[in-house]
Amino acid sequence: MTEPSPRYVVPTGAAPLVQLKGIAKYFPGVIANQDVDLEVMPGEIHALLGENGAGKSTLMNILTGIYQPDAGEIIIDGYACQFASPVQAIAAGIGMVHQHFKLVNAFTVAENIHLGWSETPRRASAPVLEERTAALAQKFNLQVKPSARITELSTGEQQRVEILRVLARKARVLILDEPTAVLTPAEARELFKALRNFVSTGNAVIFISHKLDEVLEISDRVTILRGGRKAGTEFAADCTPAKLARLMVGRDIVLADMRARPPGAAAVSSSPVLRLRDVSVLNDNGHTALHGISLDVRAGEILGIAGVAGNGQRELSQVLTGTRQAATGVIEIDGHAIAHANAADFVRRGIGHIPEDRLQSGLAPGLSITANAVMREYGKPPVTVGGLFRPGAAKTLARSIASAAEVVIPDFAMPIRNLSGGNQQRLVARREMRIASKILVAAYPSRGLDVGAINIMLRYIVDLRNAGAGIVLISEELEELLNLSDRIAVLYEGRIMGVLDNDRVDIDEIGLMMGGRLRGEKGAAHG
Amino acid sequence: MADFRLQRLPSATPAAALGARILAIALALIIAGVILAFVGKNPLALGLQVVTSSLGSSFGLEDLGLLVIPLILTGLSVTVAQQIGAWNIGAEGQFYAGAFAASAVGLFAPLSGGWSLVGMGVAGAFGGLVWILIPALARAYANVNELITTLLLNFVAILLVYYVSTDAWRERGGVANSATPRIKAEIPEFWGLVHWGLPIAVLLALAMAGLLAFTRWGYEVRLIGSNPAAGKYLGIAARRHLITVMLLSGAIAGLAGMLEIAGSVHRLQGGISNNYGYLGIMVAVLARGSSIGVIFAAALMAFILNSGIILQTQGLTTSTVLAITGLILFLTAIGDELSHYRVVRDKS
Repeated sequence: MTEPSPRYVVPTGAAPLVQLKGIAKYFPGVIANQDVDLEVMPGEIHALLGENGAGKSTLMNILTGIYQPDAGEIIIDGYACQFASPVQAIAAGIGMVHQHFKLVNAFTVAENIHLGWSETPRRASAPVLEERTAALAQKFNLQVKPSARITELSTGEQQRVEILRVLARKARVLILDEPTAVLTPAEARELFKALRNFVSTGNAVIFISHKLDEVLEISDRVTILRGGRKAGTEFAADCTPAKLARLMVGRDIVLADMRARPPGAAAVSSSPVLRLRDVSVLNDNGHTALHGISLDVRAGEILGIAGVAGNGQRELSQVLTGTRQAATGVIEIDGHAIAHANAADFVRRGIGHIPEDRLQSGLAPGLSITANAVMREYGKPPVTVGGLFRPGAAKTLARSIASAAEVVIPDFAMPIRNLSGGNQQRLVARREMRIASKILVAAYPSRGLDVGAINIMLRYIVDLRNAGAGIVLISEELEELLNLSDRIAVLYEGRIMGVLDNDRVDIDEIGLMMGGRLRGEKGAAHG
Repeated sequence: MADFRLQRLPSATPAAALGARILAIALALIIAGVILAFVGKNPLALGLQVVTSSLGSSFGLEDLGLLVIPLILTGLSVTVAQQIGAWNIGAEGQFYAGAFAASAVGLFAPLSGGWSLVGMGVAGAFGGLVWILIPALARAYANVNELITTLLLNFVAILLVYYVSTDAWRERGGVANSATPRIKAEIPEFWGLVHWGLPIAVLLALAMAGLLAFTRWGYEVRLIGSNPAAGKYLGIAARRHLITVMLLSGAIAGLAGMLEIAGSVHRLQGGISNNYGYLGIMVAVLARGSSIGVIFAAALMAFILNSGIILQTQGLTTSTVLAITGLILFLTAIGDELSHYRVVRDKS
């Protein structure tokens, strides 16, 4: 963690570098932005905070000329501007680094920097371009290797190229869309240093994020959007995470304790249903993603897995569901060690899996809703009888899954990609719950959902726990983990930093463990 | 004031898709007609000639029936491979390999009558299967793109057949010296020139459709074809399915070669495929992944080919005919894409 920045003071007498007044943007049936004001001063890092769908991206797309506002003014350096295209916005000094990089992978860094740039020399050899790129990198203090191809770079390095590309075009306002989502903590620190450096010469940064701690760490002021409107602008120094969260969701975060069991709910079993013993797992690149971890999951409990994404969560969810083999170690279900099992065996033993990338691995987007709904149970009666697949029975099953998920389906033969992300997620969750008689592994189940859909999703999980299944809940949202989990394990760089009982949880301690500190001496025994 | 704009739908309605196809074919014929008019032909008279000669006489219909058999099978071969996400560009080579293997049995195996036909059928399917074996294994185990491997093996098969029919298996003392002796086993005809290969091809297409829609295996194949990662998620043996389906695809194309030998040509000779393997790709594209659709797409393609033959007798070159075929395919692809759009009216 870096030192907290000194309290920010709005410079007097200076015109705001960027001022948005009364911005509105409507899409069919949706108010994306309404009455939004935003003021960014020279030398300021200004965070834009909001939930999914709060209108952050729309607002920035308006500022960068991708959309034109339906109402309101854009004022740069005191002059009203209209941007018909991103080209005009960058000419006015406004550049954006998108969350998904827009680099040409087969090109070198130097080629990417000079692509589509009016200042690129007409006759440019590779050494000339690389020399110019090196000069730019020096000037902006961003280390890049000009001759490297993009494919050879880490995500952090790719991001640096993106930033350099924008800065080279003389941007004075740099907009970053969730820049740290793809970075390791060390890379994020590097980025923050570069941003501080950039604004110290009178430039400005607009930093889009929904991570509260990070926003407080890096920004001078924070503008919070909620439901397309501005919910307030605050000095970061005056804020606490709780205050920001309240502004962001429009209600106090109640630590709604969902751990209480209603009468009749299954008790937590004394012996574990699923055990990992010293399990190490390799990732797709052959590097060790999990280092000898041990975990127990009991029936009727929710085990939360906290940690910054990319610390082994994907591999953990895969090894728990048989979609990835453990390199070493033992996986036990009900006391029986499982060797060389595949996902189908795990399903047969009652283990369901809501994958983090549901569209990529949990669904067949081009196939019908029916075909997707029966993905877990197609091989057995009533859907398949004697090797024969019965479309009628499949549709009946799909219908019952859809009605349990409370998703209205006009046509079950329609490809599932036509459904909204939220409805897809609800169908996947219900499909997995049907087979998860013992364990449900839910990886980021609320990712990409709005607040209402998240509540429904969490209710599903609680219902399943009450029915006696063990739940492994992998999430980035501490609030969600604290509300649901009976125990929380913290994952950092492929290792379990410790397992905490929720009753005795200390949020600061979890924070420290997520940052790589091992569990301290105080607190309860390992779970 | 109302504005009109285009809206893209994620999937086209069947009516829009069908309408777009009819429109595309009509447009292609109109363009072809205009070009013919420019080179001094009377397109209406030619069109009438084509329709009466191919649909108005039993000779014409029998020709269509003969043409449609290999087209159904090569189209089916490509369609089957598509189900699991593979592009079999090698139906042409597998057709030759099937014809080669079937001829070997027909010429040299000591089988008689019906048994010889059965042996030729098995050999033909096996020949096609062997021809796609290496691409299938390379794709499954080394992720080698099957587009390249299947395509390149076509040339090997074509040249192999040229070699045996002009040299090793050449009919000694024959007139042209460029074909094997006549193969004795023949598939009987049931209507004029049309042999029992036609019902076999149609039944095979129907059986494939049933296999894909009504078996557990077919469901798994469609699933992996739609999203290979889902196979891993579900624990389905995706690699085994990929190999099976590709081998099946090759075997179907090989069978097409056998039927051509035993049903219509009765000798192995160079150029025996008439490009049926490549035309099968067009049939599959027109059928849009439907095994039953293959039957209709093959019928349309047969009609176009037959029209080409008739037009040639009227003094048009083969390249003109190929151009018209290409035009139809091109416009159909555009029509398929456009059928995803509809015009909506913005009220403001």
